[in-house]
Amino acid sequence: MPNDDLTVVIVDDHSIFRSGLRADLDPAITVLGEAATVDDAIRIVAETRPRVALLDVHLPGGRGGGGAEVIREVARTGAETRFLALSVSDAADDVVRVIRAGARGYITKSASGREVSEAARRVADGDAVFSPRLAGFVLDAFGVVSGETAETTEELDRLSAREQEVMRLIARGFAYRDVAAELYISPKTVETHVSSVLRKLQLSSRHELTAWALERKLL
Amino acid sequence: MVATVPDPPRTDIGDAPDPDPDSSAVRAPAGGARALISGVQTPSLLRPRLRVVGGVCAGFAEHTGVPVSVVRSAALLLTLCGGAGALLYAWLWATTPARTEVADAPPSARLHPVAPAPAQPAVPGRVTEILLGIALLAAAAALLASRLGVPVPLAVVIPAIVVLAGAAMAWRQFAELRSGVAQSSPVLVRALAALVLVTVGILLFFVTSDRPDIWTVVIASATVLVAVAVVVAPWLVRLNRDLSEERAARVRESERAEIAAHLHDSVLQTLALIQQKAGPSTDVARLARAQERDLRDWLFTGSTTSAADAGAALRAFAAEIEQDFPVRFDVVTVGSVTAPLPEAIAAAAREAMLNAARHAGGDVSVYLESGEGRTELVVTDRGPGFALEDVPADRMGVRGSIAERMRRAGGAARITSGPGGRGTSVTLTISTPADETGSHAER
Repeated sequence: MPNDDLTVVIVDDHSIFRSGLRADLDPAITVLGEAATVDDAIRIVAETRPRVALLDVHLPGGRGGGGAEVIREVARTGAETRFLALSVSDAADDVVRVIRAGARGYITKSASGREVSEAARRVADGDAVFSPRLAGFVLDAFGVVSGETAETTEELDRLSAREQEVMRLIARGFAYRDVAAELYISPKTVETHVSSVLRKLQLSSRHELTAWALERKLL
Repeated sequence: MVATVPDPPRTDIGDAPDPDPDSSAVRAPAGGARALISGVQTPSLLRPRLRVVGGVCAGFAEHTGVPVSVVRSAALLLTLCGGAGALLYAWLWATTPARTEVADAPPSARLHPVAPAPAQPAVPGRVTEILLGIALLAAAAALLASRLGVPVPLAVVIPAIVVLAGAAMAWRQFAELRSGVAQSSPVLVRALAALVLVTVGILLFFVTSDRPDIWTVVIASATVLVAVAVVVAPWLVRLNRDLSEERAARVRESERAEIAAHLHDSVLQTLALIQQKAGPSTDVARLARAQERDLRDWLFTGSTTSAADAGAALRAFAAEIEQDFPVRFDVVTVGSVTAPLPEAIAAAAREAMLNAARHAGGDVSVYLESGEGRTELVVTDRGPGFALEDVPADRMGVRGSIAERMRRAGGAARITSGPGGRGTSVTLTISTPADETGSHAER
């Protein structure tokens, strides 16, 4: 996919953060609009149809569902916008909420403009973006430490051995290309593994994941 | 009645003398937001800890603003009017709560907005002892009197003793039920026994009288009903009180959650923005990061993690080192991180983190995985990198503090190149006792 037509919408209720991010983003990225509330976000994303929406997890307005509500509502309209969640919080339930609603990745707000641009590009290309913290959470939630390993590739509730290796390296702060070099696989394969983990994170019915989801009435 | 009279709204909060210096003193450490919320309330009807008899007069005086001496005189006067004051005093004593956890808890217990309030210990024995004592005294007096040849109306005394004993048992079990100490089945048995005793006592009183007629029967049944009411009333009153206490606790809990949410949405966002704008290695970013860490700890860790927590220990190291070096640690913990970190690995980890800060700086990842009888900790930096052979022998940092320390503790340290051949990765591994293992999400 060419990168020069990457279009985004920035959704955050802090105007100073929006303008800051807008200034710091890669100049090749076109910002189509900004929104500050759930309702604005749904409207503007539907109007401008960006390839990626940079979405704050905590947003006022709507029915109080924050970023997750925006993702679900936009998905209902059939728009093909992909979502990258931005959050100051690294609390597991916050992150899991937006990921399960359909976000393709999550990144903390202290990330630099370059990091956000790179993550947005990756999300636009259909890949997943995992922060070290999210990778650590995934390892925990899928019982990797207690030795649970998926036997088949179709299993949703456990990670395969390769996925575990990839997640471990990401949790240790490795970039995708470094993960690829470390495991002697291609960067594309790394991305495939990460996307597969993302799919499991979104679809799995593991207790650790559904507990938060149920608590927040997502299911 | 008195307890439900609403207070006139007090608008001059600023210059009104606070009648309760104790509560204003403990509000302060919990932060301004809390003081804002609780500051607009007038003192509610509570019995203070410092008491002359039951604390009713003092509590009432504080509640209404009337001087306590006036209240006490009024109570005494009322008592002279056929004991009305004493009755009222007893009623208030039974219905007003004693000053409890919020006002009296030590400030440390309320530092964290999500930490649960400590439970109030109940005193189930006091009233029971008094009632049982009266019963025993009555028995002793009756015995003594009959020995001395005084005609004792045993038909009255024995039932009276039985009634007192029954009431005492009823009171005890209700108090226990309230404090949640006892299991439900023996409590129920004792409650029934107490009720039966009271009933039998009152029936005995009437059956032993010589001339049973219709009025005796009516009075007997009425008395039994009253007795049951008397035994059950304290329980109902206390149940009601417990419910309102619970409601108050829920309100406090949601207040705390609101404050946390507000800080989360405003201050944390700003701190993140400052870090993002200032760049990871600047003083401003370090300050913002330290503040963010403090605030986060205060907001979220109260009831979920302890100081002995491995993740918390690593984050504390990180905070400490970030104060002195232009470095940003990203600490990720996986597995059973609620157990304290083994000492050897903690010391070695600290040394490795310090090395990374000193020689590499920038972003440093700390990854801890513990489980299956094994703890692994990896410190990865993106600096110039170094090989163990190149480090001169007099530089004890790596050789002594890290590798040697791990070896002595039965673990191992491995130093390799970081991601993509840049930087340094220090891997510490050690076996841990099996009972500390098992997957456990951090929060």
